[in-house]
Amino acid sequence: MVWGTIIAAYLFLAGLSAGAFLTSSYAARRYPEAKTVRFVGRLISPILMGIGLLLLIVDAEAGLKDPLRFIYLFTNFSSVMTIGTYFISFFMMAAAYIALMELLKKDTSKIVEYVGIIFAVATAIYTGFLIGVIGAVPLWNTAILPILFVVSAFSTGIAGTMLVSAIMDKKVVHMVMSIKKIHLTLLVAEVLLIFTMFLITSSTNESAAQSVSMILSGEYSILFWLGLVVVGLIVPIAIEALELWNSKKLHHTPAGLEVAASGSHGIAATMITESAVLAGGFILRYLLLAAAVPVIFL
Amino acid sequence: MARYGMVIDTRKCVGCYACRVSCQMQNELPVEESYIKFYEKETGVFPNVKNEIIPVQCQHCEDAPCVSVCPTKATYTTKEGIVLVDADKCIGCKYCMVACHYGARTQDHNTGVVEKCRFCAELVAEGKQPACVSTCISNARIFGDLDDPNSEVSKAIVKMNAQPLRPDLGKAKIYYVR
Repeated sequence: MVWGTIIAAYLFLAGLSAGAFLTSSYAARRYPEAKTVRFVGRLISPILMGIGLLLLIVDAEAGLKDPLRFIYLFTNFSSVMTIGTYFISFFMMAAAYIALMELLKKDTSKIVEYVGIIFAVATAIYTGFLIGVIGAVPLWNTAILPILFVVSAFSTGIAGTMLVSAIMDKKVVHMVMSIKKIHLTLLVAEVLLIFTMFLITSSTNESAAQSVSMILSGEYSILFWLGLVVVGLIVPIAIEALELWNSKKLHHTPAGLEVAASGSHGIAATMITESAVLAGGFILRYLLLAAAVPVIFL
Repeated sequence: MARYGMVIDTRKCVGCYACRVSCQMQNELPVEESYIKFYEKETGVFPNVKNEIIPVQCQHCEDAPCVSVCPTKATYTTKEGIVLVDADKCIGCKYCMVACHYGARTQDHNTGVVEKCRFCAELVAEGKQPACVSTCISNARIFGDLDDPNSEVSKAIVKMNAQPLRPDLGKAKIYYVR
């Protein structure tokens, strides 16, 4: 593995950060009363991106020894990494500004927020393009990968935001039912995308087929089926679907919310779901890097 | 302007590793690190089998993916077509290592810089041959100007119908006789 666990963690955190930013922007508009969700999303977004970038710096040994070299990252426009560096820079500036305004309890600039939304989406997509353009690794070299990464980024972003929000205020989870609906849709889409990608790429060439069989039935099969499919996708889909179904029975009144928050489907379900989604998001990226079989050139 | 390339005749290669050792000496590499990798390939069906030893190093691709992918422009192609790494610009992100079709790059963990075969650019500038070529015991390697039809390397490519390892993966400047 040329790119190992550190890069998998970075790809995961970048997607999570972008997703959290979008979740908070959505919550701010759709649910002005769900302040916790907005606050949490806005705050964790730049923090998680920052941790991701620190990991990148640690992994880039030559740059770590001579940090001024990182300025050169802005120079080659034919490199997806350079383009990503610009995306992340703009995203980080917007996210940090908005987090600061949130902490100072000041109004945020709408323009900065829109810029943040655009570059959050760009950041999430770029992580897919970063490895997607590598012709040397057929498993990555597919058009579905960037889409899968975006869907997974939004899904983990919602999960991260809801997890921290639920810890801070267990009532708030039941105020944002449409976020739960979006989350369920994303998770189902992720299942479809993963299997479409594996099915199509495995029939394109030998290296891709080898990668896919490593994941589906080889050395990474337990991590894939148990970690990603069961824990990361099926369990959250089941709980989320059940929660949505139950919530229909409760009226959206303060009393109903109280019942929801303290009842059988309290925050425990949310905590389990969101933690599972986060674990799945990391496992997905780790598997894709670990099973990267290069083109056989002889 | 010359456009440098090489022919490697695997029929002549005996797998003595002299090229690798001379390369390590020229580039002051530690024992465990090298720019030339050896692969063995068996072809045919018994009794008509062939065992081939294939030395692989940076193919100095014309349209090198490592060059387009490098975010810092540390990897570049010289006017003579040699792909080089500017050690003062490399951040060690390893994107070039991931992008290389031939797995030809290694990271020096003392400096963090990613390096590879440089066609011994400093020897070539003096009019000498790369270390692997001048040290090869069986003359399996020929180096020279691909643009000059009268150069030894150009003639060898035509005469022996030398082909890049994988023409479909890009325009490599190392040609193999297999």
